[in-house]
Amino acid sequence: MTNEAIIQLKDIDVTFHNKGQTVEAVKKVSLTVERGDIYGVVGYSGAGKSTLVRVINRLQRPTAGSVEVSGQDILALNPRELRTARTKIGMIFQHFNLMASRTIADNVGYPLKGRLARDERKKKVAHLLDLVGLSEKAEDYPAQLSGGQKQRVAIARALANDPEILISDEATSALDPKTTSSILELLKRLNKELDLTVVLITHEMEAVKEICNKVAVMEAGEIIERGDLVTIFSRPEKPLTQDFINTATQINQALEKIFRQAATLNLSESQQLVQLQYVGASTDAPLITELYKRYGVVSNILYGNVEILQDTPLGNLIVVMSGEPDKLAAAWQYCQDAGINITHLNPNDSEVA
Amino acid sequence: MNLLAKYFPNAVTIKSDFLQATGETLYMTAITAIVAGIIGMAIGIGLIVTQPGGILENRVVYNILDKLVNLCRSIPFVILLAVIAPLTRIIVGTAIGTTAAIVPLVIGSAPFYARQIQNALAEVDHGVVEAAESVGSGPIAIIFRVYLKEGLPDIIRSSVLTLISLIDLTAMAGAIGGGGLGNLAINVGYSRFETDVTVMAMLIILVIVFAIQLIGDLLARRVDHTA
Repeated sequence: MTNEAIIQLKDIDVTFHNKGQTVEAVKKVSLTVERGDIYGVVGYSGAGKSTLVRVINRLQRPTAGSVEVSGQDILALNPRELRTARTKIGMIFQHFNLMASRTIADNVGYPLKGRLARDERKKKVAHLLDLVGLSEKAEDYPAQLSGGQKQRVAIARALANDPEILISDEATSALDPKTTSSILELLKRLNKELDLTVVLITHEMEAVKEICNKVAVMEAGEIIERGDLVTIFSRPEKPLTQDFINTATQINQALEKIFRQAATLNLSESQQLVQLQYVGASTDAPLITELYKRYGVVSNILYGNVEILQDTPLGNLIVVMSGEPDKLAAAWQYCQDAGINITHLNPNDSEVA
Repeated sequence: MNLLAKYFPNAVTIKSDFLQATGETLYMTAITAIVAGIIGMAIGIGLIVTQPGGILENRVVYNILDKLVNLCRSIPFVILLAVIAPLTRIIVGTAIGTTAAIVPLVIGSAPFYARQIQNALAEVDHGVVEAAESVGSGPIAIIFRVYLKEGLPDIIRSSVLTLISLIDLTAMAGAIGGGGLGNLAINVGYSRFETDVTVMAMLIILVIVFAIQLIGDLLARRVDHTA
């Protein structure tokens, strides 16, 4: 992976005027995507993430700011140059946007008409359909396909011009979890095999977690936090980011259940409910055993989860630690020294840590 | 044949008139359909691409087309026939006859067709248009390869509707000198109290209308792959 910036958005503003109302959809946002990245942009609907990425291929002209793609100033292009530039930026959509009147093969071949001779076009379409695993559906119409298959066709169409970038605008949001996974896997494979840079917009952190190497969190038209995936997941700074992550790792649900049972847990003075979070190598140490051997602290695991992000394990444990107060303090120190993020959970505090 | 003579005593005696009138009706319909079809299609496409949010958004052009269509559509056809007689005379050389009837027919039906086309194309999913833009399609490609292709089933349905209303208009144009079945029904059947001639003219028109509807439905079903 090189560090060459392929997309550079600088100080992007997008303002809509509608019936006397002014909506600032995107405010002063800068974003740099490097070649080979799978860059996730996550946020709730209305956060402005769709508007932001549509600026990349100028489906949306920004009110202010600059857009550079592969070293080309996208905002300075005339219509003809823009069309050529767009062939290098593929895009897929939430509702697939296939043409109902064309067969699958014709949908995929649509961008190639006039660019390739008939025979070459046919060959290319066959190759693209093979790439997304839909060769046998070539002569079907979109209405005969499932949602996941339609999105595969849309991906094949988006790749027809051999783009360097693929923008995925909520492409998995209309799909069930299993289909979502298979589409994400396909995107990841294309990223590796074709050296395709992917910009993935979604409101689901699960999707980001599965394939992205970088992520930006958007709220109210601004990027509030950004970084590489592991850093964001292990040390989120903003509550919204934390919220997205907790939903993705299902810690929220676990905590909710634990807190509901907190009364029945009946914690005594010598017991503490804590969350342990660790990244990478620290997952390898037999922590619970160490705590017992060194300090006689017993840890009762209530919930455990390990995510593998970009080949880096990220663990989450919710445990009740029992032991002498001074031993507990020592154990606490030990965890911190081992690079483990340890937080005390208060069941009476509904706020999730 | 006896049965025909029994129920249509007057009509059978003017068989050649009927043949000629049917020919005139079909002639007026066909020529008008071609001319008004082209004009209406162009205006309809113009409305779609220049409308707010369209691929060639242009408020001025859109408003002009929109007002023009509304204006033409609000003039009752019988009055239009009379009002544009001078214009007809300039274009065709006469204001009477089958060919002369085509001028008001075009002006009467083109705006209607334009609206129908606009509605048909408005049904084309904007997302599909956007997808075409995102792969680098220009306005011409989007009009012909997306709008007209995707909207084809609806275009066929609205063309049928327009054709049928056009036949209605030819009957009216015929009544004031354009010839055709409308002329026969009014000037022969109605004026001479030969009701069977009127009924026969009506039946022939019904057959034409049903034939158009049938062919149109078949075609639309053939090109529609949405379900």
